[in-house]
Amino acid sequence: MTATPRTLRPRSTRTSARRPVAAMVAGLAMVGGLLAACGGDSSDGGKKEYLIGFQGPLSGESQQLGINAYNGVLTAVELANQDSSLPFTLRIVASDDQGQPEQGPTAAQKLIDNSDLMAVVGPVFSGATKASEPLYSQAGLLSVSPSATNPTLTDLNFTSFYRVIAPDTVQGAGAAEYLAKAVRAKRVYSLDDRSEYGTGLSGAIERGLERARVPFAHDGINPTKDYTSQATKIMADGADAVYYSGYYPEFALLTKALRGKGYDGVILSGDGSNDDQFIRQAGAANAEGTLITCPCSDANSDPAAAGFVADYKKVNSGLKPGTYSGEAYDATNAIISVLREQGTEASRESVLSAFGKVDLPGVTKRIRFQRNGDVEGSTVYVYQVKDGQRTVLGPVSTLVKP
Amino acid sequence: MGSAEQISQLTIDGLMVGALYAVIALGYTLVYGVLQLINFAHSEVFMLGAFGGLFASRALVPDGGATPSGLASAGLVLFGLGVGALAGATAAYALERCAYRPLRRRGAPRLAYLISAIGASLFAFNLAGKEFGRQSVPVPELFTNGTVVTVFGAEISTQSLVIAASALMMLLAVDHLVAGTRLGQSIRAVAQDAECAGLMGVDVQKIIVATFVLGGLLAGAGGFLYAMTFNASYTMGFVPGIKAFTAAVLGGIGNVRGAVIGGLLLGLVESFGGYLFDASYKNVIAFAVLVAVLLVRPSGLLGTRLGRPA
Repeated sequence: MTATPRTLRPRSTRTSARRPVAAMVAGLAMVGGLLAACGGDSSDGGKKEYLIGFQGPLSGESQQLGINAYNGVLTAVELANQDSSLPFTLRIVASDDQGQPEQGPTAAQKLIDNSDLMAVVGPVFSGATKASEPLYSQAGLLSVSPSATNPTLTDLNFTSFYRVIAPDTVQGAGAAEYLAKAVRAKRVYSLDDRSEYGTGLSGAIERGLERARVPFAHDGINPTKDYTSQATKIMADGADAVYYSGYYPEFALLTKALRGKGYDGVILSGDGSNDDQFIRQAGAANAEGTLITCPCSDANSDPAAAGFVADYKKVNSGLKPGTYSGEAYDATNAIISVLREQGTEASRESVLSAFGKVDLPGVTKRIRFQRNGDVEGSTVYVYQVKDGQRTVLGPVSTLVKP
Repeated sequence: MGSAEQISQLTIDGLMVGALYAVIALGYTLVYGVLQLINFAHSEVFMLGAFGGLFASRALVPDGGATPSGLASAGLVLFGLGVGALAGATAAYALERCAYRPLRRRGAPRLAYLISAIGASLFAFNLAGKEFGRQSVPVPELFTNGTVVTVFGAEISTQSLVIAASALMMLLAVDHLVAGTRLGQSIRAVAQDAECAGLMGVDVQKIIVATFVLGGLLAGAGGFLYAMTFNASYTMGFVPGIKAFTAAVLGGIGNVRGAVIGGLLLGLVESFGGYLFDASYKNVIAFAVLVAVLLVRPSGLLGTRLGRPA
């Protein structure tokens, strides 16, 4: 008897949750097709219209990170559409993958099938990226991830993949340095969520800890709700710092379980947990003092990004930029800069072949790519929850005492 | 295996989760007892109860406000439990009214009930996802969580104590209700032989509704307790629902005390299994135990009859 609902229900959840979006995307695609059939002109002053795709989690447990990125794309597109010097207008086609690897290819295929689509911002999560990129490469459609940080992604010979965020090798090395020299941990418990992202990050941290001669224990646990026996295990291990490589819904429950048992060591996580939802779901009291590393600066506190923050708030009815919003904005602007050069003559091939040469001052960093598609250079920042708020402590390099 | 401290800690954690499984399992077992029907939408009753209690306590304890203490905390926990139980009971009543009664009137085959249950379950949790959002939502802090007592080195938090105490009270109350009251007697009579009970003057329809509502009260309150530790989300019902169903089968489906023993045992097995092996093997171990028990005792630990005197 148990077998029937077990297989039926999760599958049905996904399809039913995806259907409205699927219908929306299909609808948009049909509208796009109709417009193309009418000569490719949109109603907006007869300007040519290009479509930009977005792939990421727009529903499901980790949707906040996808929504942050989507709003960043939206901001860049809105600003571009207000710029009368551009010979074209832009429209976003969103495809929801719920951050799940198994839904990545379907979400990607929807965007690929839309022939007016010039490039994609996304996928947002590493697992979905790994599953989707073979399709993008085959179709020759440029995809620029704002946030997929698994180190191996740029070693898999994907021909149309770029990312504007540093891989987890950079974040892991930074986090390990911070653990060794600022936290001065005697023993670290490195726990990951067994995802593409989590294992990549925990592996990078552990290599860094080895170099710094900090003893550590490695463990992995698939996302679940009940972290009580895991917390007992961590406390029995005696580590004075725990680093969780995974996303915020699970990190919140883990933190809750650890603090509920009276764990008094340092609790850390990475960019996947760098969202205010973490504080909300863990409870402010439990989250207090938690540290988060991220190869991303906080646009809200960076004076150089004030213009972006103002634009973002204007477009997104007062919302503040979240994690990956700035990266998504930069990725979109990088695509727009290529389209601007090519005017109304752009094609998927021309956009893809010109993208590697982009050099643009972004809000998060200078957007310039290495040959494998990785962005050049990056700084790892440390955040801390203080008085129920995420605050930036600064880049690892300045926090580490020599 | 670690020291006495770990053994004690794991036992307490296991009993806490197990008590929650037991509370939900009672809903499965009671309904099975009277209708010989597995109510697969019970997990959604649990989820809706959790949201009911959560919204009620959210309304009283705003975000970022001070954590209540003393009597206010106790009152708030009871209030949350009460609203959760009411929400669960309402959901269970609606479920019986819309998904089962029409089928029963028409004498539908067993399979139709199963499909109806799965349909109701899909409907309920997708609606909840649409209405309550897809993010996990925490129950606000109703009391300051800290260590109350230490048993063999294991720290017992206020929260575990609240959960254990509430669950225990509910389990005792149900046991008393089924074994020692007129309503319980009627429920047992219907479970034993519905037709005969009807001839003896028991209003079978009423007893069926009462059984659903009773299961709903328990699942709703249990949902609120679960959300205190693990947060509430629209998909939260599925896994605990399956676990509670397992617990009910483990103890002997249709048997009230069996469900309690099954729940506690499952909680313990999970807690120790998750520690000794990999935490990801927790479910593997739990279901391996289920299969092993059923191989030896196909009708569960205590047998399957609700009808016999408990």
